[in-house]
Formats: sequence, C-alpha cells, structure tokens
Amino acid sequence: MAPSVKYWKGEEELLRDQAFTTAQKNEFAEDLPLQEVLEESNFELNSSRRDFLKYFGFSVTAVTLASCFKAPIRNAVPYLVKPEEITPGVPLYYSSTCGGCSTACGVEVKAREGRPIKLDGNGRSLISNGNDRSAEAKGGLCAVGQASILSLYDNERLANPLKKGSESDWTTVDAEISKSLNDLAAAGSGIAIVSGSLHSPSTLKAIADFSSKFSTARHIMWDAVSYSGILEANETDFGKKLIPSYYFDKAQVIVSFGADFLGTWISPVEFTKAYVRNRIPAQGKEMSKHIQFESNLSLTGTNADERFPMKAGNEGIYLAALYNKIAQAKGGRQIQVATSGELAGNSLAQTADLLLKNAGKSLVVSGSNDPKLQMIVNGINMMLGNYGQTIDLDNYSNQFKAVDRDMDALLADINAGKVGGVIFYNVNPVYSHHQGKAFKEAIGKLKLSVSFASSKDETASACAYVCPDNHFLESWNDAEPKANQYQFTQPVISPVFNTRQAQLSLLSWSVGIQNPEQDPMADKQIMNQRFQTSPFYTYMQSVWQEKLGAENFQTHFNQCLHDGVLTSEPKPVMVPAYATDLSSMGSYLDSTVSKEGQVDLVLYQKVGLRDGSMANNPWLHELPDPVSKVCWDNYVTLPKALAVSKDINLGDTVNIKAAGISLNNVPVIIQPGQANGTIGLALGYGRTAAGKVGGSAEKAIDSVGVNAYPFFQGSNSSRSLVVRGVEVSKGDASYTLAQTQTHHTIEGRNHVREATYADWKKNPKAGNDEPKPHMYTVWQTPEYRRKGATGHLWAMAIDLNACTGCGSCVVSCSIENNVPIVGRKEIILRREMTWIRIDRYYAFSNDGVVIGKTNEHFEGPYLTKEKGIAALDKELAAKQGAAYAHYENVKVVHQPMMCQHCGQAPCETVCPVLATTHSTEGLNQMTYNRCIGTKYCGNNCPYKVRRFNWYRFNNNSNFDYHFNNELGKMVINPDVTVRTRGVMEKCSFCIQKIQEGKLKAKREKRSVNDGEVKTACQRACPANAIVFGDLNDEQSEISKLYRNERGFHVLEELNVQSSVKYLTKIRNTETV
Amino acid sequence: MRVLHQLQSKFRLAGFVALIAAFPSLNAQDAKKGKEIFDANCASCHGIQNRGAGPALKDVHNRRSEEWLLKWIKNNEALRKSGDAQAIQVFNDNGGAIMPAFGSLADADIKDILGYIKEESAKAPKKAVVAPGGVDKKDETPDSTLYVLLALIGLFLVVFLLLARVKRDLDRLAAAGQGEAIDETPKGNFIQRLLPGPLARMNPVVLTMFALSIFGILGFVQFYEYGLSEVGVQKGYAPDQPINFSHKIHADEYAIDCKYCHSTADKSKSASIPALNTCMNCHKSVQARDKYDGEISPEIKKIYTALDYDPEKPANEAYGKNPRPVRWVRIHNLPDHAYFNHSQHVNVAGLTCQTCHGPVQKMEKVQQWSQLTMGWCINCHRETGIQVAQNDYYEKLHEKVKADIAKNGDKSKYKDKNGRVVVTAGMNGGLECSKCHY
Repeated sequence: MAPSVKYWKGEEELLRDQAFTTAQKNEFAEDLPLQEVLEESNFELNSSRRDFLKYFGFSVTAVTLASCFKAPIRNAVPYLVKPEEITPGVPLYYSSTCGGCSTACGVEVKAREGRPIKLDGNGRSLISNGNDRSAEAKGGLCAVGQASILSLYDNERLANPLKKGSESDWTTVDAEISKSLNDLAAAGSGIAIVSGSLHSPSTLKAIADFSSKFSTARHIMWDAVSYSGILEANETDFGKKLIPSYYFDKAQVIVSFGADFLGTWISPVEFTKAYVRNRIPAQGKEMSKHIQFESNLSLTGTNADERFPMKAGNEGIYLAALYNKIAQAKGGRQIQVATSGELAGNSLAQTADLLLKNAGKSLVVSGSNDPKLQMIVNGINMMLGNYGQTIDLDNYSNQFKAVDRDMDALLADINAGKVGGVIFYNVNPVYSHHQGKAFKEAIGKLKLSVSFASSKDETASACAYVCPDNHFLESWNDAEPKANQYQFTQPVISPVFNTRQAQLSLLSWSVGIQNPEQDPMADKQIMNQRFQTSPFYTYMQSVWQEKLGAENFQTHFNQCLHDGVLTSEPKPVMVPAYATDLSSMGSYLDSTVSKEGQVDLVLYQKVGLRDGSMANNPWLHELPDPVSKVCWDNYVTLPKALAVSKDINLGDTVNIKAAGISLNNVPVIIQPGQANGTIGLALGYGRTAAGKVGGSAEKAIDSVGVNAYPFFQGSNSSRSLVVRGVEVSKGDASYTLAQTQTHHTIEGRNHVREATYADWKKNPKAGNDEPKPHMYTVWQTPEYRRKGATGHLWAMAIDLNACTGCGSCVVSCSIENNVPIVGRKEIILRREMTWIRIDRYYAFSNDGVVIGKTNEHFEGPYLTKEKGIAALDKELAAKQGAAYAHYENVKVVHQPMMCQHCGQAPCETVCPVLATTHSTEGLNQMTYNRCIGTKYCGNNCPYKVRRFNWYRFNNNSNFDYHFNNELGKMVINPDVTVRTRGVMEKCSFCIQKIQEGKLKAKREKRSVNDGEVKTACQRACPANAIVFGDLNDEQSEISKLYRNERGFHVLEELNVQSSVKYLTKIRNTETV
Repeated sequence: MRVLHQLQSKFRLAGFVALIAAFPSLNAQDAKKGKEIFDANCASCHGIQNRGAGPALKDVHNRRSEEWLLKWIKNNEALRKSGDAQAIQVFNDNGGAIMPAFGSLADADIKDILGYIKEESAKAPKKAVVAPGGVDKKDETPDSTLYVLLALIGLFLVVFLLLARVKRDLDRLAAAGQGEAIDETPKGNFIQRLLPGPLARMNPVVLTMFALSIFGILGFVQFYEYGLSEVGVQKGYAPDQPINFSHKIHADEYAIDCKYCHSTADKSKSASIPALNTCMNCHKSVQARDKYDGEISPEIKKIYTALDYDPEKPANEAYGKNPRPVRWVRIHNLPDHAYFNHSQHVNVAGLTCQTCHGPVQKMEKVQQWSQLTMGWCINCHRETGIQVAQNDYYEKLHEKVKADIAKNGDKSKYKDKNGRVVVTAGMNGGLECSKCHY
C-alpha cells in the first residue's frame, strides 16, 4: 500500500511560496559573502598594484631570509607530579549529577587531562534511565544537560565575589555578611533563603544549620516555572504536598491535557525513557496509545497517536466532561457543570471508553498549573485505579517542591519590613517573577541582599552582595530526586574562577566553616589536593555517615561516588486514601469557560531554553525548536485562522495585550496544529542581564526574544500558564526569524514512511512494502560489502517510532565534534553548521474527528496541482463548518538526518580533489586538508547534509561564542580537528570513537564488542532511537535491526546504498 | 653537529678517565675491598660527604660505636624495636625512611666498609675537575655555516675569474713580447673574454642556462627546506632544552627502558614526557656529585628547583610550595589535523621507538630523526606487516589470509615477490584518509 500521506515541512512549501521555490533552485540561498570573507581580520587585501609589487618583492626577500629561521617553538610542560589516575591522552569518566535543572539526571562526565569535555546520561541513575532497574539500563540526557557543559566555560561568569556591583574578596564579603546576619537576627528581623527546588540532603542540612544559627531565618523554595498546581492538589486530596512518580511504561493508554512530558514537563528524560519502552511495536507486547489534548503543538503532541486541538481556557470543562463520563460508568458522583464539554468528533467520549477499557493500565496527566484542574485529574486517575499502578505517591518525586504562594508571601513580608535579609540561590525573581519590578524595588529596601548567581543576572545586579556559586562540575553535592533514591555530584575540575559553592557560603556564615585554603600547587595546576580538603566534602561525608553507618564508611561512600547513585528497593506502592468530593466544583469551572471569539494565550517552555536560566548558553539558542524549527528567538504561535483574519503573514509581528500588560512587535509564526482561539508564547526569553549571548542591557546587547514572564501570574494561589482574553493586533514592524524548517529540503521525495499499528499487526512490512525499485549500478560491489568480509561495516539504524525529536542528539553531536555556533544571522542565510538535524514533517491528519474510522477525504493524493491547497482549504472549511480547521489537525513525523555514508556516494564522485572518499569500513570520509571548497559534494548530496565553512569560526570576533576565547576553547574535543574556512564538513559517524573502540580491542587482543562503539547522538538519545554498530557482525544489534521488516533507506530508489536505515513509524491509530 | 657531539662526549669520557687515574692509590687493603662493598650496597642511598636518600656517612665511625653500627646495618628494624634510643633517633631524624636490612654482610665486610668510610672522611672534598668539552657550548646553527660557505665559494669564484683574466692578458702581453702577432680584437664578447678558455668556447646561451639552473636548483633546495619547515617538517630539529637531559646516558649507558619514563606510550595516543617525579625515583639519590666536585650536578639541580625540593632534607619529605614546571621544547610536532596514536604503534604493532625516533639512545641531545611527513607515514604503512597471528582482533583477517594462500599459493596477494607472507597495514585500510584525519 503506497502511503497516501503528503508530507510538508512548512507552510511555505505547502503553498509553494515564491521565496521558497526560488531559494530551493539556487545553489546558494543568498549571495556569496565574498566581501565579508575578505574583510575578515586576517585577510587584508586592500592594496594597489604598486603595493602588490612592493609586497611581492618584500615577501620574496622575506622568504629567502625566513629560510634561516626555525619554525615556531612549541613547548610541552609535563606534570611535576602526575596524578596517578591521569594518563595524558586517555579520557577519564566520572559519575555525577546534572545541574542543568532540578530534575537531576545522573551524568557521566568525560574528562581529558582534568578538563571535562562531554556529559552523557548515567545508566545507573533512575532519572536518566527512566526507572529501569535492570543491569543493562542506558542513560540519556536532554539537550539542556548536554549544553550545560558550555556554561562551565562561560567567560562571563563572575570571577570574584561582588560587593555593591564591584569586585571584592571573600574575606571582606564574608565578614560583612556575617555581621549583617547577626545584626538582623539580633534585631528579630527576618532572614529568608530563597532557592529553587532543592532535594540535596546535604544542602538542606546546611540550610537547616543556617536556620538554627539565625533564629529568624526561613527557607523558601520557588521555581520560575512551578508545578504548584499538582503540589497543591495533592496536598488537598492526599495531605501530601508532593509530585508523584509517573510510570509511562506501565500505561497502555496515556492521556495528556497539555502536559509536554517528553519535552519540558517535570522530568522529560525519565518520562521519555519510560514512554518509549512501550512504543516500539514488537511481537508479544502491546504498544501503548497516546492521546494528547492541547493548544500549542508541543513536542509531546507531535508524538501522540491522536492529537486533539483544545482551547486551553476550556480545559476545566473538558476534564470535567471526561470525569463525568468515567464517573457515570463507575457509578460515582458527577461534577455539575452548566457548559457541555465535548470536543469535535466525540473525542472525549471515545477517550473515556479507552480509559475505562484500560482501567489501572492508563495514565491521565495535565500540564495545567491550576490546583482545581489537577484535582479533577487526580479524581479521574483515582476512579480508573491508576494510583498504585501508573502513579506512585510512595516513591514520590522531589524534583519540584515549590508552591507559588510562598513567594508572594515573601514579597509582602519584605514590603512590610518583616524580612530584612534575603539570600537568593538559583532563583532570579527580578526576571522570572511576574512582579519582577516590585521585587527589584523590594530588594532595594533590604538591609542585606545576597545572590549566589554565578553571573551578574537581573536579581544579582539588584543585590548588595553576589557570592558566585560554583558550576556543578566544580562542586560536591548530593541529590534525592526520588524518595530514597540518591545521587551524587563530584567535582571534575577545580573552580575556574574564584567562586565558592553556595552551601559553603551558607556554612561559613552560620557554623563558621572556612573557605578552603587555596592550595598553592593547585594554582599551578600541578598537584590538586584542593577537593580532598573541601570543607563541604567533609560536611557531606558527615551527613552520609549517618545514613550509611560508620562501618566501612569510606569504602561504601567511595562506591556511591563511583556509581553516582545509591539506589534502594522501591517502597511497596499503596493506593492512597481519597475522599475528595468534586461535585461542587462545577461553578468554578463554568466561570473559566472562554467566551466566543476570545483568544487565550498559552505560555510554554521551549525544549532548549526552558525557564531561561541558561540563556547565556549559545547551544540552547542555536538548537532549533523541535516543533517550529526556529532558533534564537521566541515568537507568538498563531493558528492559521487567526492569522488569515488579521492578515498576518510570516515575517510580520503582533502586539499582544492582556491583564494590563502588553508586548509590542513580537515576531510570529503560523503554527500548524495551534488550536483555533489560542496563541502560544515561550517563557525564558528576553533576558536583560544574561550576557553577550542572551542579552545584556549593561553591555548594550539586545535581548534574545521577549520576556513573557509578566503574563505568568495568577489570581488565586498558583500562577496560570493560560492567559485568558488576549487582544491580538498586527504590529508595525517586520522581523525575520531564523527558522531552519525548509533549509536543506529534499522536497517532493518520499523520505518518511508510516503505517498504523493495526496494519502492522497484520503485516510487519506495512507502510514499507513498496516494491523495490530496479537498481542499476556501474560500480562493482567492493570487497568489504561482500559476504565473508573481514573488516567492519559500520551502519546506523534509527527507529522513527522511538525518536521524539527532542534535539538532544543535535547538541551532543555538536559538542563531541567541535561544530561551531553560527548565530541568528547566519542561520537566516541557511548556513547552520550542525551535522545532524531533525527534519520535522507535517501532514494533515484525519480531521481529528473520529477515532477508529477512516475519513474518505484524506485518502489518495489530495494535494494535486489542479486542486491546490486553497481549494482544499475552502472545501474543508465547508465540511467542518469552520475555516482552516484542518490546520489545527496536523500530525508530525520527526526524522533525524545526518550523513548517510552512502556505499555509492554521489558526493565522492564529484569531488575534483578526492577530499571525500570511501573507507573499507563503509564510511564516507571527509578529509578537510584536501578540500578546496568547490562545494560540488554539497550540491550533489541528495540528503543535504554537508556543511560548508563560510568563515573561520574560531578566533573570529563576529562569532563571539565559545570558540573565541581561551576559556571557551577548553570544551573542544582534542581528538577532532577544528575546521577552518573554506572546507566542507559533515557527520563522520564519530570516527574518533570508532578508532578509539577498535584500538582498545586491538590492545586487548580481541574483536570489537557490539555496542562498544557508540556515536555521540546515540549515546545522548533519551529514547534509544539510534543504534550504531558493525553489520559484518551477524549477532550485533544493528544486524538484527537491519533485518527488521520496518527498515527502509531514505531515497532508496537512488541506489546510493546508504548506511543508515530508518524504521517505519507506526502510529497506534486506525488510519494513517 | 652529530660528529661534534660525539667528539664532545669522547672528550668528556677521557676527562673522566683522567680524573679516576688522578686518584691517589688506595693503600689500606680493607678500605679497597670496603669501597667495592660500599659501592655495591650502600652508595645508592648514602654518600660520604653528602646525603642521598640516607644521611651522609662522613665520620660515622666517630659518631657511633662499631658494635652499634654492626647491629644497625645488619637489621636496623630489630634494633629499633629493641628500643634502642639512638636507633629510633636516627630513624626519626631521617623522616622514617626505611633502610633495608643487610643481614647477608659478614662482620668483616662491614668493618671493611667502615675502613673505607674512615679513609674517605679524612679526605678533603674533591676539587672541581671540569672535563674538557663537558660544558655544552651554544651551538651554531648549521644554516649559517652553509651561508658562510656559499659566500666564500662566491668570493673565490670572483677571485678566480679575475685572476684568470689577468693571466690571459699577461699571456697575450708575453706573446706580444716574443713577437707573436697579437689578435687585437679578442674574439667573443665580454663574458667570453672574462671566462677561461674551455668555458669561453662554450655556447653562451647554454652557459647562461647552466649557471641559472645551478642557482635555480640551489634556490629550490633552500626554498623546499624552508617550505618543509613552514609546514612543520623539521627533520634534524634539535633545539636546546631547559635541562640538558642525555638520552645517551640514560637509555644507552644505564640501559633504562624507554617506557620506564615514557610510560604511557603503550596505552595512550601520547607517549608523554615524564613527570619530574619520575626523575626523582632515581635522582633523589643519584646526584652525580663525583663529577662536580661534590656538588650536585647542575642539571639534576634543575629538577630540584622545578619541584622546589631540598636535597638536604630527608628524602621522603614532600616537595616545596613553590614549584616551577619545566618548559621542554617540543621536537616532534605533528600538524593538528593528523591523528597519531602511540599505543597503536607501540602496543598493537609492536614497533620499537627507534623505528620512528631513530637511535635516541645514542643521542646526547634529541633531534627529530624522521621526516614525519605523510609520505613517510604512508610508505611505512605500505611496507610494514600487521601481526595478524598474534592478535585475536585480526582473527577473521588471519583466516582469510590463510585461505587465500592455501588457494592461490605463491600467487596470493598476501605474498611478496620473495614468497614471504606479508599483510601490510595498507592492505587493511591503513592508507585511508580517515584513519588519521578526522
């Protein structure tokens, strides 16, 4: 059965936009940047003929003279005393815990000669492996975690403590703060420590010690984006203010109301790992079904089997409707709502049916921050018997603990003069609180204000003292992300700057633990004794001695540090007592219903930047958003219908106004899948004191994006992500977004394949059963591809069912392979450098009307020349009774795309200098030093995966990212060449890792074990979607996957014999 | 330069022999035997005038009784355990450094040693005798020598030409004097007249071309060498190092294995310059004082300075707080885009260090022996065999080779023209770009 689906990457492709078609035909999307290249600092060519003769004469003489000179002297400085564990040239791996967010994934840190260069998931950590307690569990890490290593080498971090904005030293700062704290406590004035969610036992003890020393001290947790709604709902329902553990792998039916659990919600890596376990169609195991109701098209929504656009403002009544349907079946009391809640095509009723059929094996989650809605969700899960099965309140999560009301209370207390001193730890309320301005003024009133921020962020700039915290790779710490499941953080590098970890600062002011004495040897980077003597290490040990017992303590503790985790058996899961009566909630829900024509703004976090705390990290900006494929900005996502009615096109801007706050000239994209009557805007952008990357008012660097936090407020206790009744009008300005969605397009060709689960059960080759095209080749099959070949034949398989499109692989690849960051301007010119991209394809789905029935309209190739999209729009509008309703109902396929290492590679045959050749291990080799930059290869590549270095990106002040300062360069992988201007580059299948793996095997006189060589993308993937290995090893995982019926090569008909096999996407729906 | 070095070291050796010969002959029988025993057993830790790992032994016979010394030397641990206050004192004074027990020495032997110490103690500290050539002069670069030579050759050429012309004129005048007819109009042009006879008879165009091509070749050679050095090819590069470390002494005379110091060569991409702590394994006690009039060798002193180590302190004390790392000059510099791994070559291929680095053990001062160009690498990969039989990694390849030879006999591609079985690195993909460039 030939797929009847027409895929498109963006509206410009769908509408055959002129700019798009022109750009596609041209070899280069823009004119060549000759002038800019020539103006690069070391390329002065402004000279006349006379000058030329002079220079010529001079250089001939110079060359003659220079032949007397020697090449520059290079020095080698060995260790004076080599640390025993270090072998120069051989990496060391340490277990630690990611500090990118409070989710606390376990990480494995790769360090070369004492400098960390790569982070990956630790398979032992229950967070990074998604509660997999088996021995072969694999750890994943998200894009934020991958990129967080760059923050360590950020040269804009504070190098010293600050006092009133100017540099000071620890002794002065400590003395003054201690005195101030004592004065405050003596005067009975309150002291508050405001931190993000904390679950580190040692840190919490340090704070407790602080609080017991200063009687007026209290500790408040506050998160920029909180889960206040769930916490409060659980407090009301179960008397426990906590977030349960969700087991997505145990659920046969997953229903999510706007919760982006694969992208940003609570613990995305953990959830992705668990979710994917049940998403691979396999014999003897039922694939789960995932239904998503949402307004913005989220990463999770793109992966759903069924996705229904839902107006977020009405979520309450939809939840109530679902509740009532289940309650009706179960014989419970219903919620009395006046407004009938049903979505198009009885989808709620059908969802209720599915949930009831899978009672106890289902999971309903909601991304709302409204405690009342979360209580309904609790009620639904309780009726279905999901507690104790897929929801676990006994082995709960500690990852987010903050409720919003605490911060409002603090602000009131400061203004009332009850609190005289505040210490900010990992929070930046001046930026991320909706009353940021009020906070800034309040901080001014304080007698003592301290921030632990590692850079001079918005809050730190307002504080009298800044005591910069270490990066997590420089710190000792522990964590308890899940109840009784511990993780450890150990330093991998000595502090780069004169910083001190926050816990030590607190302890030095309270119990008088002093700053570690600077080891003079450490300064000279010779012999580092500093960590052994870190007082916080000793402190942490004393905390752990109580837990582990004194007997064999050091051995036991060292084992914990080695593993990075201390996992214990989970507690038996109980069904909690529940007696909440929801029946009276109806009037509240009725009051929330959106009026006709009202537009709701739905705030969300981007998969890359999240809450914006790492806004100075260029990789997170450069990573295209998994859904919109926009880099370097946030923007308003508009539904097509609204855009048409307001005459807003791509490149325009809008003004939005709600609750007395307005944002003007915000860039827009028309987002397929955006529910009509809603718009979306990402939080975390618009920083004014992030630094040279994220924006800094002090340095006159424009903010990246706009700050949406002022909208994130709530009338009752918890802040609401939904802003009701937004006025949207077209702005005056125009703005070009750096959107990669149609770059490198391979439009018009059949590149993704999908089938329904039902069809797959009947025929495992479903969706992939196109007759093989006739292949002709003028080449002989090389020896290494014949049977009985002795060497390796490297290949990759990517399961489109597993890949969620999260983008972790993109960042991982770039860091492993020293890929430069090019910035917004270059991306607009289609010059992004990433070796791996994730192509996101849209297709109109089956109207979203009926689950389980085919829709005759979407059969066959409906997008024909004669018909055109405009005619289709009209026809569908008539059918659906609303304009552009089909734009709401798109389905998405994510396809990671990198060099396919073709056996008969088109790039190789056109290179005039043999810079790209084939190896006997099936690799398409790129030799930079042979390349003369003709770009023929790039043009001849059917997959468009070759990248040209338009500039020398290192040491180039126009690209002031990590490659342009001494500190930032520390992250460079020493085993991979840093490319220069004028050469092509592309995915190498991580050849450096292949060579390393082979060499290890040779040294140990054995063959290479399967799974020993892992590419950077594979290692990072939280979904285990990528498998790499040797095809000449019959037993390898890759060989097994190559025999899988779902496997296909992209553009197989070209007979380029690609080495990457994709596995057909199987959707658990009745229709494709 | 190498010749010069060899000369220098010969001189140095000669000086050393002279020094030994200058010693007054030893008269006491027991002291002579004592020296032998001392050298064999004690000298690695003790000096007479100076301390090594253990204290200096000058006048030890006055400080301690012979009976005590016998006990101490035979088993100092037992003596300490017996509660002997002196023994414990000595042990503590030297920072608890453990001296091995010498139970195997007979009392007479120990007495001989003491005799030797007694005799040595009586002598004044040695006078400095600097061996000729012992101090390295700053080397002149070979390039400047070449230029001086070239300039001289040029000068001589001009002088020669002038003289030739003078001779010609004189000959003509002489001929005129003898009444022979003088050809008033000399044949040929100015240059031809300038040149001596045989050259003048040659075609001037050919001659000019010839001269130009000689200059051209010389120029090209210069330019080529310059070009090579510009791209990092610097064969023969032997820079001065901050410490005049002699591989000849260490690797040849003392036959210390290369991998004792370059210990990571078989497990890492980098063979690594040893940490100075490695030097101290020996140089805590080896101080070459005999060559420097009782003073520590200035080169060894550089190690102590670098580590901020005080040789007068007990041997196991930590280094000082003010170390100054040594900045060696890198000799072997591969370009950044070439990946080279020592362990692949040393461990897997089993090559000796000398294959690429040349006879380092004969080098007073290390120089780059090989060209280290890609062509040089590739040639070796084309010629050098893989040890397929000894390494299970190559099991499949080995089977294939065996099968191929069984099938094709001498015509097998795995046999060279002499009939030897050769499986080269090149045959196994060792010539492919991304084996070294990525």
